[in-house]
Amino acid sequence: MIIRVENLKKIYDTGVIQVEALKEINLEIEKNEYVAVMGASGSGKSTLMNILGCLDRLTDGKYILDDVDVSTLNGNELAAIRNKKIGFVFQAFNLLPRLTALGNVELPMVYAGMPSAERVKKAKAALERVGLGDRMHHRPNELSGGQKQRVAIARSLVNDPAIILADEPTGNLDTKSSEEIMGIFEGLNNEGVTIVMVTHEQDIAQHTKRAVVFRDGSIISDKQVENRIIRGGITA
Amino acid sequence: MNLMESFISALQSVRSNKMRSFLTMLGIIIGISSVITIVSIGQGGKQAIVGEFDDMGTNVININVKSTNNDIEDRDYLTLKDAELIKAKIPEVTSVVPAAGDMGNIKTEKDTKFAEIDGVTQDFDKLMPVDMLAGRFLNERDVETARNVIVIDEITATKLFKNPEKAIGEKVKVTVRDNNTNLTVIGVTESASGGMAAMFGDNYPGTGYTPITISERVLPDSKITFFSVMLTSMDNSKEIATKIVRLLEQSHRNEGKYAAEEGFKQLDMLNNVLNIFTMVIGAIAGISLIVGGIGVMNIMLVSVTERTREIGIRKALGAKNKDIMLQFLTESLILCLIGGTIGMTLGILLGFVVGKAINIPLGVSPGVILLAFGFSSAVGIFFGLYPANKAAKLDPIEALRYE
Repeated sequence: MIIRVENLKKIYDTGVIQVEALKEINLEIEKNEYVAVMGASGSGKSTLMNILGCLDRLTDGKYILDDVDVSTLNGNELAAIRNKKIGFVFQAFNLLPRLTALGNVELPMVYAGMPSAERVKKAKAALERVGLGDRMHHRPNELSGGQKQRVAIARSLVNDPAIILADEPTGNLDTKSSEEIMGIFEGLNNEGVTIVMVTHEQDIAQHTKRAVVFRDGSIISDKQVENRIIRGGITA
Repeated sequence: MNLMESFISALQSVRSNKMRSFLTMLGIIIGISSVITIVSIGQGGKQAIVGEFDDMGTNVININVKSTNNDIEDRDYLTLKDAELIKAKIPEVTSVVPAAGDMGNIKTEKDTKFAEIDGVTQDFDKLMPVDMLAGRFLNERDVETARNVIVIDEITATKLFKNPEKAIGEKVKVTVRDNNTNLTVIGVTESASGGMAAMFGDNYPGTGYTPITISERVLPDSKITFFSVMLTSMDNSKEIATKIVRLLEQSHRNEGKYAAEEGFKQLDMLNNVLNIFTMVIGAIAGISLIVGGIGVMNIMLVSVTERTREIGIRKALGAKNKDIMLQFLTESLILCLIGGTIGMTLGILLGFVVGKAINIPLGVSPGVILLAFGFSSAVGIFFGLYPANKAAKLDPIEALRYE
C-alpha cells in the first residue's frame, strides 16, 4: 500500500465562513497503480492533490504515505517527505528558468544532499529515460512545451519517489505533445512507477487504469477504466 | 544543500541581474570606500604625527623651576650637580638633559646670523633628533672640559659659510646681549624645524649648541630653569616625578619651587583628538553604509517577491525553510561582499591619493581590511535576514500559485 487516506477532512477557515473542501475521504492506492483523479473545478481534487503531495495539511483524519503517518509531521519533515517520496509534475511545468534542463533535474537531489558527480550521472540517466539526452544543456526557454514537461517528469523521477503526482500534466500542451507525455507515463507505469494524475479531460483519463471522480468534496465514483487507450509505452 | 552550492547558485543569480546587482552594490561601495578612505587617512595622519614625536623620545618628564610668584632665589635654580644627582639616585632615569638658552648672534668677520644659543649636554640627541650634516655633535669631553666649541645648524652654516662642510673648524664669535665669546665650529646639524626654516628663508633664526659647562661665559644669564629627564618607560612616571621633585627639594632645602610634567602630554591629546575626529567622520560615512544596506534589503525584498514561484517550486522539490533562508542570505551577503571588496579597493586608492596630496603615509592595516569585510558581511547578513526569512516562511501552495 502506497497511500492510505482515512476519513480525511479539509476545512478552509476564511475567518468569516468555513469551507469544507473535502468531506470524510477514504482512498487507498496500491503500488504500481495508475490513477486519474477527476472532477470539475471546486470539486476538491486539487485540495486532495495538495494534501497527498504534503504541500498542505489535513484538518482531520489520517494520511499514511509509504507506511509513514504524515499527518503528524512538521514543516521540515514534510519537506523531506516531498523530497524523497513524491515526484511532482505540474501543468505549468514549473522549471526554474535560469537553470539548464540538467540543472533542473538535479535540484531534488541537491536538496537530498547528494554529491555533485552522482547527481549529474543520475540526472543524465533520467533525461535519457524521457528521451531528452540531447537537450540537457538547454534552458527551459529553448525547449518546446512537450520537452519542458519531459524535463519535469525526469525531475520527478530522480529521487526514486514512492509516487508521482501529476496535476493536469497535459493542460498546457497540444494534442501531439499530450499523446507523447501520456506515452511516457504509460511506459513509466509499465516499469513499476505509481502515478496519480489530476485531470478533467475524459480522453486523458482514458489512458489510466483507474478513475476516481470527485464532486463537492466527496468521491462519487471509483472504478477501473474501461476501453483503456494503450500507446504501448513509447518514451519518445 | 551545502554552503558552497548555495554560494555558487547565489553568484549566478547576482550575475543574471547585472545592472540591478551593480546599482545595489553601489550603496555598499560608496559606504565602504568612504569609511576606508577616512580611516586610512586618519591612521596615516596619526602614524605621521606619532612618527615625528617618536624621534624625540617620548619617555620624558620635564622639570621646571616654578616662577609664578617671582620669589625664586639664586639657590633655587637647577644645577649640573642636580642632573648628576637625579641620574645617580633614581634607577629608572636614563639621562638628564639640562638646558639654558637665549637668543643672540653668531658672527664671522663678514656675516652675522641671528640664532638661539642653547647650552646643552651630549645627551641632548636623546631628546631631539640630531642629524649631523658635517662634523660631530658635542661629546662628553666637550662638556666635561668645558671646551669653547659650538655646533650650528644648517641655515646658520649656509648663511655664514655657504655650505656645511666649510664651517667645520672655523671660528665664530657668539654675541648674546653684551657677552662675546669666540668658539670653534665642530659640527653642523640639519635644522630642527626644516620646513619652517625653508618657508621663512634667511630670516628664520638659526640654532647653536654649546656645552652647558661654558654657558656661564656665553650667556649673561646662564641659570638652568629646565631639565628634561628621560626614563626607561612611562609606567610609573608620576611616582618618579614625585621622587625627582623631592630629591631636588632636599638638595636645595626649599619647597614648592619645582614642577614636573610629562614631556609629551600633547602627543596623547593630539592622538585622542585625531581618534575622535576619525571616529566621528567614520561614523558619518558609516551612515551611508546603512543606507546602502537598506538598498540591499529593498532589492532582496523585490527579489523574493519576483521569485515567489521559484521558492514554491524549490519547496515542492524538498527545500527546507533553512535552505531557502540560506539561499537568499547568501545572495545578500555576496552582494555586500563584492560591493565591500570594490569599495575597499576604491577606499585604499582614494586614501593613497589623498595621503600623497597632503603628504602622509598610507595607513592601511590588516585591521582596516578586516573591518571592511566584517562591516560588509554584517550589513549583508543584517539587511538580508528579513527578506530571507520572509522567503523561507512562504507557504508552498500559495508560492506555487503566484503569477
